Amino acid sequence: MMSSCLSNITPDSLSGVIFALEGVGRSVVLLNGPTGCKFYHAAVSDNQTIRQFEFDPLNYPERWYFGQPRVPCTYLAGGDYIYGSRDKLEEVLAFIEATVPCDLVCIVNAPGAALIGDDLRGIAAEIIRNKPVVVMETPGFSSDICSGYERATIELFKQIPVVEAARSRPATVNLLGISIYHKYYAGDSAELQRLLGLCGITVNCVLCADCTLDSVRRAPQAALNIVIHPEYGAKTAYYLQEHYGTPCYIAAPPVGFAATEQWMSDICARLNREIAPFTQDSERARARSYAHISRINSLTGLPKGVSFSVQGTYAELYAYTAFLVRYFGMIPECLSVLNARCDFAKRALEALLDEFGITQALGRDIFASTSELVFASGNTLAQLKLRQRIFSGIEISLPSLGYIDVIPKTHQGIQGALMLTEQVINGLLFL
Amino acid sequence: MKEIAIYGKGGIGKSTLSANLSAALALAGRRVLQIGCDPKHDSTRLLTHGQKLTTALDYMRQTQPLEYKIEDILLHGFAAVGCVEAGGPKPGVGCAGRGIISTFELLNQFKLKERYDTIVYDVLGDVVCGGFAVPIRREYADTIFVVTSGEFMALYAANNILRGIRNYDGENKRIAGILYNRRNIEGEDERVARFARAVGLPIRADIPRSDAFTRAERDHMTVMEQNCDGKLTRLFVQLAQELIGGSALYAAQPLSDEDLEIVVLGRGESTEREREIYVAPAPPAPESEMETRCAAALPVISLTDPNRYLSKNVVRSEPLHGCAFNGALSVSIHIRDAVILAHAPQSCAYLAYQSISSTGRRALFERGALLPASLTPQLECTEMGEAEVVFGGMDKLEDKLHELKRRRPRAIIVVSSCPAGIIGDDIDQVRWLAQADLPIITIKADGNMAGDYLQGMLMAYTELARQIIRRDQNVVPDTVNIIFEKFVVTNTEHNFQIINEFLRRLGVHVNCRFLCATTYDQLADFCSAQLNLLAYKDYTGKLLADFFTREYGAAFFDQAFPIGFAATEAWLRGLAGFFGRPEAAEEMIAEQKDRYVRETATLKPVLSGKKLMIITYNHELDWLLQAAYDAGIEVVKIGVLNFSQDEGFRTSLTMPLPVEENYDRDQRAGDLARYQPDILLTNYASSIAGEVFLADTIPMCPEAGFYAGLNMMRRWARLLQLNVKGEWTRDEQLFKQYYAG
Repeated sequence: MMSSCLSNITPDSLSGVIFALEGVGRSVVLLNGPTGCKFYHAAVSDNQTIRQFEFDPLNYPERWYFGQPRVPCTYLAGGDYIYGSRDKLEEVLAFIEATVPCDLVCIVNAPGAALIGDDLRGIAAEIIRNKPVVVMETPGFSSDICSGYERATIELFKQIPVVEAARSRPATVNLLGISIYHKYYAGDSAELQRLLGLCGITVNCVLCADCTLDSVRRAPQAALNIVIHPEYGAKTAYYLQEHYGTPCYIAAPPVGFAATEQWMSDICARLNREIAPFTQDSERARARSYAHISRINSLTGLPKGVSFSVQGTYAELYAYTAFLVRYFGMIPECLSVLNARCDFAKRALEALLDEFGITQALGRDIFASTSELVFASGNTLAQLKLRQRIFSGIEISLPSLGYIDVIPKTHQGIQGALMLTEQVINGLLFL
Repeated sequence: MKEIAIYGKGGIGKSTLSANLSAALALAGRRVLQIGCDPKHDSTRLLTHGQKLTTALDYMRQTQPLEYKIEDILLHGFAAVGCVEAGGPKPGVGCAGRGIISTFELLNQFKLKERYDTIVYDVLGDVVCGGFAVPIRREYADTIFVVTSGEFMALYAANNILRGIRNYDGENKRIAGILYNRRNIEGEDERVARFARAVGLPIRADIPRSDAFTRAERDHMTVMEQNCDGKLTRLFVQLAQELIGGSALYAAQPLSDEDLEIVVLGRGESTEREREIYVAPAPPAPESEMETRCAAALPVISLTDPNRYLSKNVVRSEPLHGCAFNGALSVSIHIRDAVILAHAPQSCAYLAYQSISSTGRRALFERGALLPASLTPQLECTEMGEAEVVFGGMDKLEDKLHELKRRRPRAIIVVSSCPAGIIGDDIDQVRWLAQADLPIITIKADGNMAGDYLQGMLMAYTELARQIIRRDQNVVPDTVNIIFEKFVVTNTEHNFQIINEFLRRLGVHVNCRFLCATTYDQLADFCSAQLNLLAYKDYTGKLLADFFTREYGAAFFDQAFPIGFAATEAWLRGLAGFFGRPEAAEEMIAEQKDRYVRETATLKPVLSGKKLMIITYNHELDWLLQAAYDAGIEVVKIGVLNFSQDEGFRTSLTMPLPVEENYDRDQRAGDLARYQPDILLTNYASSIAGEVFLADTIPMCPEAGFYAGLNMMRRWARLLQLNVKGEWTRDEQLFKQYYAG
């Protein structure tokens, strides 16, 4: 029996770049590349940030859009790699300039197009008038999705005119490091904004997660940049700190009650805001959660001792594991690392596991998991099902198995803690 | 900050002039950085007294990004001139132009240019590709010199350089002029003067052929440092002073090839600019070393090969839908005991993996079905990075193959991506790593350079067949192969089960599913089947039937998997006739006939007389049209959309059909107004669904067997009786208000 060969099949920096720029509302992200690089990104962008209400292919022309409403492309083919893509770029940019209402035009080279080195900026400058153009000449080759995402967000600040009056809006923050590729980005964003709002903190921009171009321009005015997923936002925060003097707050995603309380406490202290309204919200939620867990626990002793596995970045592993271990008393079996180059929270995770004497879980192959609960992408859950494992799968990342979330959901903040509580107690295997 | 690019034909003396100019600028008090942009990396040797630098590209190849230190690739030579060499791949592999881009990205990471006030770029030969044009892009060089002698090839190269600059600059002015490096050949002065006049550029320096250069080079020095020829040193000092003082700049006005010959060779020459200035960016014939190198790296595809099976996109030169790489992978993963190796960056493999696995996820989510090929494709990737796209990826490919061989798969199938194709990695060369019991099969898709997704499928089908199928097989009676089941749909297995049950009752066994959830050995035994059944008789299906008939003498049943009652009836009778078991077919038909007639009769009161309009990618709809006809529906229009994977609407129905091919949006609007259909059928719920009484969708791959058409009629009857569009349809304006845009 061969082992699984999928360990190195993960999205790379090309996807990171496209999803970052697709996260700016009223932007057109033109892929200078073949349709093979377009279809997936167009589909995911359209699913995650719905901006059209139908799929009518006749509304999106064969060339450039190929029946999909997002991520037009230059459909490069053999000759274009030899002679360059100027003609096609000129044609599609003229079409966009004349017919597509938008605030921002982004041009991203696909890997093959990056090898031919066309002058994207020069070509765009001849055609696109009165709106900013962001150019990404190199998508990166096999570097991870996070690095691509951050290169794009930083380029966004470098290439668009920003409002220079730095830190002129007290109690106003930006949320960085949330991508539309994060499964519950909309719900995460809404919940964190709700919590901050309880304490009078306004969110100017959720960078590249369905934000407006204007909010990106005004990002330097915020009093604090809060990084949600450090591997997607830390470098951007440091860039903004260096260039605009905006301080930043970087922590693992606020998953669970305690982490969210710490998160809010830190931010309120930084911005000198009163935390009491939030605390009341959190306490009410804790009480509700307690009631449900208590009833199950009194009958079964669960969820204490239930085994679980998680697949994610170090920061995600730390965030979920800390909540599941400390709050529920559950035991990690496999903690499988994605994008290991981004090692934010690695030490915190190791310390957590060390504290409970469960260090062997880290790095264990997720496909060896026999846990009752598995927190992973739809792909991983499906592959475990194929291996006839008996478990409850809780999706925490894309790709999804296919469930369509009409109500925005979250695993972050107080609502996220309740959501996870709900999923955990419904996923337990009662004996 | 002044940034000066020096271009000219290979061997014309750019490096010598660049080094002397850098030295002169440094002696004049400038902080100078010279960047050699030539794979042979000897631009700065006269400044470093012959000391060799680690090139930027070698460094990136050998060093982890977190360990980068600028000191490792930067050396300060004579007069504190900073020296960097880009380096590059050996001739014939990789893309040196891409290497220049990578070098500049590295130097930008170090913010190296901020340490200097003058940068001199010494650039290889012609502007042969986008990579070598990096220094003349606006954000880099602000001043350009073109070096030439009076030799024809040097002038030809100089003219090509002007073409390259013109492509970037148009009428903008960045050229400081010509540096005339004499070779002392007959008529040289006149030729260079004529050329300079014709292109409207001044000769900024007239550099004599001098032994002083030779002596200085022998001592690994610049003439400026050795200071043994006052005339030469004064020349460079003067040039440096002019640059510091601010030179007049000119636009590039290259000549056409014909005018260049007239000007340079003097045939019918006019001393005035009485000729057309070159405008069209037509590709020049390969001349320089690098042009030959790049051209050699391009894939050669013989269009006259009779064994090539081409997709519709490729045949019609249409925009390519998807890439051959993805199509080839999607087919190959169905050989379940082989490992498929994508020679590609991670993104290419990931995009293919998503298109493969999405079907599996949906099947599990919707139907609880577990499809191993979709959910766990045995797919691996070489993860081509910056180093591989610059230096070539064959070493990494071989390393990966050695690693995979240790897992002992039944075979390894290698498929190449765009970047692999562009840099000229020849994956066929790894076949030598095959062993008797572990074949290595290569499919040179080169991303989409071979064509679209369908072309990749065709390449995989034909290459896997040619490289795996054994011809010397004994035919086993009562066996069939199934050819061309579609796997990017969720009902593949369901349809197979329906067909397999028909076959079981006919006493027939499936030998090989080509290619769907099969094994290497099942494919190898392909020729032992008595008959071949096409699942779909569309463009690809027909090509595959042609392929197996021509190359293997395979016998094909002439009907595809049946859809709808009439087709199933005919398919069963035909197949039963072939295997000599007509009674088995009649028994199955009789079991279903009464039910079909009875249920159709119950639908007639609702459906009879209704007008049906169809807009579709499906090129074969007999199953639906027959059922509609049986239910008394009037078909008023069939608009067939252009579809990358099929062409030519097919029907075996005898009634007249109002078919219109290459249908478009304007025709749709007109026909809706003209016919006012009761039922509009499309592949996607259309944006004009609100304009008709009932809008519904057609499955791209309907259920096989007796009831696909009848099931659609049942659905329409229910919807027509219900007569409710749904309140949600009124909220379109709210969506536009709150979400759209």
